[in-house]
Amino acid sequence: MSFGILSFGAYVPILRLPRSAIAEAMAWAVPSLKGLAKGERSLANWDEDSVTLAVEAARNCLAGITQVPAQIQLASTTLPFADRSNSGIVADALLCDDFTTTEDLGGSRRAATSALVRLGLNPGPRSTLLLAADCREAKPGSVQEMNYGHGAAALLLGEGKPLAIITGAASLHDDFVDQYRAAGTPHDYALEERWVREEGYNKLVPKVVRAALANAHLDISEVHRVVFPASASIAKGVAKAIQVNPDLFVDPLLTNCGDCGAAQPLLILAHALETAVPGEKILVIGFGQGADAIVVETTPHLAELQRQHGPSRYLAQKRMCRNYAMFLSLRNQLEVDFGLRAERDNRTSQSAFYRRRKDITGMVGARCVACNTLQFPRSQVCVKCGAMETQQDESLSGLVGRVKSYTEDWLAYTPLPPYIYGNVEFADGANCMLEFTDFEPGQVKVGSAVRMVFRIKDFDVKRHFRRYFWKPAPILNETR
Amino acid sequence: MAKGIKDKVAIIGMGCSKFGERWDCGPEELILEAFKEALVDANISREEIEMAWLGLFYQEQSAGKSALPLSLALRLPNIPVTRVENLCATGTEALRGAVYAVAAGACDIALAMGVEKLKDTGYGGLPERTKGSFDDLWLPNATAPGAFAQLASAYAAKHKVDMQDLKRAMAHISVKSHANGALNPKAHLQKTITEDDAMNAGMIAYPLGLMDCCGVSDGAACAIVTSVEKAREMGFKDLVTVKAMQLAPSNGFEMSNTGWDGSYLHTTRLAAKRAYAEAGVTHPRQEIHMMEVHDCFSVTELVVMEDLGISPEGGAIREVLDGVFDRDGEVPCQIDGGLKCFGHPIGASGLRMAYEMYLQLLGRAGPRQLNSPSLGLTHNLGGHPFRNVASVSLFGLYSA
Repeated sequence: MSFGILSFGAYVPILRLPRSAIAEAMAWAVPSLKGLAKGERSLANWDEDSVTLAVEAARNCLAGITQVPAQIQLASTTLPFADRSNSGIVADALLCDDFTTTEDLGGSRRAATSALVRLGLNPGPRSTLLLAADCREAKPGSVQEMNYGHGAAALLLGEGKPLAIITGAASLHDDFVDQYRAAGTPHDYALEERWVREEGYNKLVPKVVRAALANAHLDISEVHRVVFPASASIAKGVAKAIQVNPDLFVDPLLTNCGDCGAAQPLLILAHALETAVPGEKILVIGFGQGADAIVVETTPHLAELQRQHGPSRYLAQKRMCRNYAMFLSLRNQLEVDFGLRAERDNRTSQSAFYRRRKDITGMVGARCVACNTLQFPRSQVCVKCGAMETQQDESLSGLVGRVKSYTEDWLAYTPLPPYIYGNVEFADGANCMLEFTDFEPGQVKVGSAVRMVFRIKDFDVKRHFRRYFWKPAPILNETR
Repeated sequence: MAKGIKDKVAIIGMGCSKFGERWDCGPEELILEAFKEALVDANISREEIEMAWLGLFYQEQSAGKSALPLSLALRLPNIPVTRVENLCATGTEALRGAVYAVAAGACDIALAMGVEKLKDTGYGGLPERTKGSFDDLWLPNATAPGAFAQLASAYAAKHKVDMQDLKRAMAHISVKSHANGALNPKAHLQKTITEDDAMNAGMIAYPLGLMDCCGVSDGAACAIVTSVEKAREMGFKDLVTVKAMQLAPSNGFEMSNTGWDGSYLHTTRLAAKRAYAEAGVTHPRQEIHMMEVHDCFSVTELVVMEDLGISPEGGAIREVLDGVFDRDGEVPCQIDGGLKCFGHPIGASGLRMAYEMYLQLLGRAGPRQLNSPSLGLTHNLGGHPFRNVASVSLFGLYSA
């Protein structure tokens, strides 16, 4: 038994925006965008935010893992709530015990790597699920709009049979404002790239890397791979400064995913772990108002997790959004007139929600102990056998369902028409009428298999609230 | 042992407003329009009505809650008035209340009034509404067409029918109802359409196009009922009596159990079985001469033909296309245009269906009059196929 990384996971939304779509729409104003119009960026659906992205990454991380995290840390610069524990929502969605410690981390793109440094320097007996997610919006026509992506990553750390151990770490704070976002404002303000590269990356990264290597008693020549969340040109300068071969830098996923902010270092690390071999020493770097560096070394336990975990399965499955106006609308950057039906008041009765919060956030239904019928929602009287007060909590969130009926509704309001919903059958009798997500028109059929994903159900724009529930989504491909 | 409602109560007067987009009318005007007709028909004064039931569904944007919208609109002399609401079966529920009161001997003459003012919402289709504080947290924000479209996808899958073939049968239903509506001066939609019009209409909720959906209308309909004995005393000769009124709400079976495949209406089957038993109908296909069913969407009408035991299971497509339910067919259905073309002011719809049965039974249906029918069926389906309230009623000529 030793402390280290016990599992890893990632999540990238199924929607992708080809960068050419941005250039086509915006190059009239910013001609230089044409030069950036390569590849595609990931795009959160209208019903995804940092909380839901984190939940999916956590589920990927915890798949096949029996260990239950004692604490959840959620790192993000775009948490939907300033005062409502975002990690607490995640804990309920993951069906965690009520005494799970939950903590929201933010304030910097280094929020996740700094947490990893802390865990590396002070390994504790409690297992930690470290989640990182970001869902940053950017001004139309900005470089950030081109470069950013939406995604999440997860690491489970604790005592056990680690797939990688942390051998050294260091953290450096430095109020180098390469970019910033003031509290309560929607977009980042970025400074000149040349200055950021020369004064920021090229000076701060070598400093923190030296400290981390010293902590690990390691020479830079012994490092096999480098996880660095920046472009190839920045990586080239940093490689030179820390004296490693630029070929050791892991693909930063910028071409096919984009920069997912606080999640990016862990996302790239998860990508590296998908193909790493035992004994690899990986240098993980985080950057933003300072820099973090963590040295991890893989173990033979890695192989057991490599098939199902990491971003590649998600990157391989995509639904293209070529419509720039649709992209803006999905991310609330363009107010489309959806008609009077969109005016429906989505006020949430918090007392009603609180009574049934496990039902809603964890999709906890119940199984009748008299007739073994699984049902959602739970009720006082069994729907099958009529027995009273015989129901025991059981979540349906992990089940695969089968579509029994469906429609594509062009009348109902949804931010991404058509509104697809239908009757889904689960194992042991449970049937639910549910709102679907991520399906393209024409994709759902009677008999289609679906998996459940945690998503935003409705926005209450009047009161700045959002409520979450589970939705059937396309089955994830097994292979990557 | 209870004997049921058969032949205990007679309808002695009915009225129905013109249905449609009645921009110039509020619920009071619609109520009065239907009421005046019924009062003349029954040849009584307003003061002779002893109790009343009001059916009204969307109180939020129409007339408000309680007995007051009816009591105030007609300045009724402070008689007991009860408002009922049971989704799209609301109008039928108002009638059931009045009929039961008369049958119980609580009063001699009772009024059932159904009304809905839908076109004050500012948009097409039915108004948005909350499903309740808990259900809003998880149920889809489904529309009525989307919920009923599920029937089509499940029916096509179960019976292995190509969706285009199902669409063609659905189109036949709409073409038939438009043809019938064209003969009805009170109908909301009075234009005929072609099968191509129906097949090619814009998509509302797959596979339902615009022409598969009924009208959203303003309107009111009412009935004045009394006991058979009292009706005789009053001098009525040809009596239309209630033969059966049955109701079956969902209990969760459809949505929480694998036993339901989504291709049929469980509650309609139950309500029909009970109604036939109450009326003593043993061979519905042969004994029922005409029907007004809840054709909120074309596919609902098709599926309901099987659920009522008129068509064999899986056989409705063939029978629809063969014209069995056309006005000149074996069992005419939606002779007045149905919800599709007469329109669907929810609280009034059940009473509007009874109104057509009443006119047909008394031979007063004008150009759409059938050849001396003696038994008719009305059917309502409130809510969505996966959880709903179904009513099946039978009306016929009284033969002592």
